[in-house]
Amino acid sequence: MWFFRSPEIVFGEDSLSFISSLDMKKAVIVTDRHLLRTDLPGQVRRALPQGTESVVLGDVSEEPPLSEMTSHLEQIREFSPDWFIAVGGGSAMDTTKILFALYERPDLSVYDITPLVKLGLRKKSRLLAVPTTSGTGAECTWAAVLSVEGEGRKHELASPEILPDYAILDPALVMSLPPEQTRNTASDALAHAVEAYGSAWRNPFSDAFAEKAMELVSGSIIGVISEPGNVDLRNRVHIGASMAGLAFSNSQIGLVHALGHALGARFHTPHGKAVALFLPHVVEFNYASCPERYDRLNRIVPAEYRGARLSTSLENILAAMGQARCGREAGISENEFLPNLDDLVSKASESTGMVTNPKDASSADLRSLLIKAYAEGGL
Amino acid sequence: MVKFPSEEWVKEYMAKLNSNASYEDAAKGWEGAMTFVVQKDAAFDRDAYIYLDLYHGKCRDAKFSLAESDLPVPEYKYSGPYSNWRKLINKEIDPIQGLLTGKFKLQGSMMKVMRFTKAAKEMVNTTTIVQTEF
Repeated sequence: MWFFRSPEIVFGEDSLSFISSLDMKKAVIVTDRHLLRTDLPGQVRRALPQGTESVVLGDVSEEPPLSEMTSHLEQIREFSPDWFIAVGGGSAMDTTKILFALYERPDLSVYDITPLVKLGLRKKSRLLAVPTTSGTGAECTWAAVLSVEGEGRKHELASPEILPDYAILDPALVMSLPPEQTRNTASDALAHAVEAYGSAWRNPFSDAFAEKAMELVSGSIIGVISEPGNVDLRNRVHIGASMAGLAFSNSQIGLVHALGHALGARFHTPHGKAVALFLPHVVEFNYASCPERYDRLNRIVPAEYRGARLSTSLENILAAMGQARCGREAGISENEFLPNLDDLVSKASESTGMVTNPKDASSADLRSLLIKAYAEGGL
Repeated sequence: MVKFPSEEWVKEYMAKLNSNASYEDAAKGWEGAMTFVVQKDAAFDRDAYIYLDLYHGKCRDAKFSLAESDLPVPEYKYSGPYSNWRKLINKEIDPIQGLLTGKFKLQGSMMKVMRFTKAAKEMVNTTTIVQTEF
C-alpha cells in the first residue's frame, strides 16, 4: 500500500486569475523580502476575489529560522484568515506551510509536523501556493525545511496535511527570475527528478513524473538561460519543476539532499547550488544499485548533453547552465570546509534521505562524497 | 531458528544488532530505550513486549515479557499487530513505510527520532536477519 498525493494544479498563462474564482474572505499572503520590492505580491493581491481582505507578510528571508517564521503568528491569529497564500520560492512556501499548521493547531510543536502525527488541519483555513521560482517544487510537496538556529542544521518536516490545496503555475511570475536563481532552482528540480527516480520508495506514479520532469527541465533550461524572456521555455521548466516536486514528494529524496542540506545549513550555500555540487557524484555512487533506471533517465537527456552515463550528462547540463562544479568554485574556502567535515557527515547522516537512497551510505561514504563535491581534484 | 516473539529471539536479536556495523554507525549519537510491542491479533493470542536499552550504537540490554509492567518504561514504543511483525521480519513491509501506512505506530518524541531514521531502519532491518520461525 502506498499513496500518490497532489494539490489541484492550475497551470499555464493567466492561471493566476483562477484565484478570483475561490471562495475567500480573508487571505494572508506570505512572501519574501526580495519579492516585496517587485509587483508580484501586488499581482496576487489584485487576483483575489472581490471583497477579500488581505494582509501581506513580506519579510521572509532565505531559509529562515523558526523564530523568524513564526514571528507573525499572533498577528495572523488576530486576523483570522480562511486562506494562506504562499508567493515566492521554497522559503516563502515552507514558511507558509508551517504558519498554516501552527495557526490551525496552536497546541502543536513544529516538530509534530511529521507523517506520523495526525494533525487535523483545515478546520479554519486552506493553503494555496504560487511559486515565483522554478525548482523547489514546494508548491506540490508535503515537505517543509526548517533551519535550526545555532545548530547549523536543517530539519526536514513533512506531513500530507501541509500539502497545498492548490498550486498555481503561472509562467508570467517567473519571467523576471534572475539568472542565478534560474540556474539554482533548475538544478534543484533536476536533483528532485533524479532522486525520485532512484528512491527506494519509487513507484509508477513518481516514475512517470520524474521522467517527464527530466524531459521538460533538461530539454529547456539551457534555452531559458540564453533566452530568459521565452515564455514557452519558461513554462516548460516551471511545469517540469513542479512535476519533479510531485515525483520526490511521493517517493522521497536521497543522498543528494541529505548532503545538500548539511552543506547549505553550514555555509549558507543556496539550496539549488548545494545540491548541484553533489548530484553527479551521488549518481555515480548509486549507479551500481540501479543501472537500468539511471540509463533510462539518461536517454531522456537531450543528445547534445548526453554522456555515456547519467552522471556525465548531469555534469554537462550543470556546466552548460553555468553552475559551480565544486565547493571551491561555489565560494567555500578550504579553511572553512575542512574543520566542518565531521559535522557535515554527522548532519547529513540525520537526513531522511539516508533511508530512501538506492544505496546504503556509511559515514565514510558521506565523507568521501563531501570531499569529491568540494574539490574534484582532491584536497 | 528461534520462535518470534520469545526470550530466545530477543537474545538472538540483541546479538545481531550488536554486530550490525551499519546500525552502530547510524546510531552512534542515540541514547534511549525502545520497546517493540507485538499486539495480539487473529494469528497470535496475546500481547508481547521486547525492551531494548540502546546507547551509542549498541544494545546494552534486552528483555522479553508478556506483561508490559514487568519492563522499564521506554522512551519509544514501536507497535504493530503480530501479523504485521511477521510481514516485517519477512521483508514484506518496509519499516518506515509501515509507519506511514498505519501498519505500525511509533510513540515518543518525533523531534529526536526523525534525526535517526537510518538507525531506526537498521534496527528493524536487523529483525530480518534473525533466523525466525513463527
